[in-house]
Amino acid sequence: MYKKILVTSSGEYLDEIIEHTLDLINERGIEVIGLYVADNSAPFLTPKRVKQMMVDELKQRGKEILDSMEKEFTKPAHCKIRFRPILIEGDPAEEIIKIAEDEDIDVIVMGTGKSKIDKHLLGSVSEKVVHSAPCTILLIRSKHKFR
Amino acid sequence: MEIFLFALIGILIISLIIVIKSADIFVDNLVEIGALLGISQIILGVTASAIGTSLPEFGSAMIATLTGSSDIGVGVVIGSNIWNIAGILGITATFTGLIKTSPKGLSRDGMVTLATAVILMIFMFFGNIGKIAAIVFIIIYAIYLRNLIKSQREEDAENLANEAKDAKRNSKTVESESKLKKLRSISPKTIIWTLIGLSGLIVGCRLLVYSGVELGKILGIPEMIMGLFTLAIGTSIPELVVTFSSAMKGLHDLSIGNILGSNTFNIMIGIGIPAFIMDIPVEPLSLAFDAPAMIFVTILVLLLIKRGMKLTRVDGIILMATYVAYAVIRLFVLG
Repeated sequence: MYKKILVTSSGEYLDEIIEHTLDLINERGIEVIGLYVADNSAPFLTPKRVKQMMVDELKQRGKEILDSMEKEFTKPAHCKIRFRPILIEGDPAEEIIKIAEDEDIDVIVMGTGKSKIDKHLLGSVSEKVVHSAPCTILLIRSKHKFR
Repeated sequence: MEIFLFALIGILIISLIIVIKSADIFVDNLVEIGALLGISQIILGVTASAIGTSLPEFGSAMIATLTGSSDIGVGVVIGSNIWNIAGILGITATFTGLIKTSPKGLSRDGMVTLATAVILMIFMFFGNIGKIAAIVFIIIYAIYLRNLIKSQREEDAENLANEAKDAKRNSKTVESESKLKKLRSISPKTIIWTLIGLSGLIVGCRLLVYSGVELGKILGIPEMIMGLFTLAIGTSIPELVVTFSSAMKGLHDLSIGNILGSNTFNIMIGIGIPAFIMDIPVEPLSLAFDAPAMIFVTILVLLLIKRGMKLTRVDGIILMATYVAYAVIRLFVLG
């Protein structure tokens, strides 16, 4: 049914996201795109150098996350999966939607699990994606509270 | 009179923005010049992040001292340090719900921050802060900066080794950015922007101190109070935005490290350099209440973090309540 899956994570619930994606694929030949968006937004009056430092750190983290995804999705047991990592800078929700549109994605797999207070105070990437995504979304709710 | 009051408030806000933006432009271009002169990226990176958010406090303290408003200068430093910890970390932990740190970062930055606050108080006991204290502060900061650079070098070497391993295994994930910059000549544009940044910093700080002093006179607020609260909170806006946004993005070490590093810089350089130029008088109430309050909030935050290497939402509320209690006692009980 699905030919192209977009798997995205900021590092949270990564193991569960991979586990659910593999379950969804069920040993079929499929293309998996691993996406990490380094959030490059910064409030007014943030020093330029510090902003760049934040983006660099997030890119480093993104690289580690995509490496972990690649390690799992390219194991010999999942030889039918074609994995492709994408690391970009931008607004996470906007970029996820844009990549889903550009790549003609069938399903987006991502995590969710913020408390109501956190959602009100910090906002939620998954909520924004749910409202504007061009395809089906599988939201993975973590059993563990992990941030 | 009312028009003058509003004009002063306007000058205060505009000068704050000028100071913060000028500090940013100055550091940014100075780093560029440093890189072109062949100074290591590690040294530049560590120094830029250490002073980047603290230049407004330093500039204000320096200008205030040089223009005879040393109470404002000391007030900005001590007030910023209390606000940074109790206010900024309190607000950030309350809103983001969690700020984590590593034992290594906490033991290095946290203990240095506490030690510098205690050293400042010891010198305050002896009366005016003069050249001897200034030299001690500057030497301690130089040693601290050297340790930061050394630690960053080790971290970078570790990252490079890992990157080399990854490159062998797979090189598709990220465009590798070369850290080596080609040596070019320094463009006049960079020098002009550096000078614009420096001039903006000086003019902005002068306007900031002037509006702070004049506002205090009109409203009958002592200079020390203007320094401790209005200017301290205003000049700490860069710390607030950096701490808050980095905690939101999960860059916890940067979040807490920025505050602890800034507090160390504020005392060692924010008081050290002005004290080297002229003696800074110590107000008895500063010695009896503000400096102990600064040490108290530093110990409090270190104890809260130490329980689980993190600050939770409850810890944030405790810190914010502590700041409110400090402000109420300082403003309404002690005056």
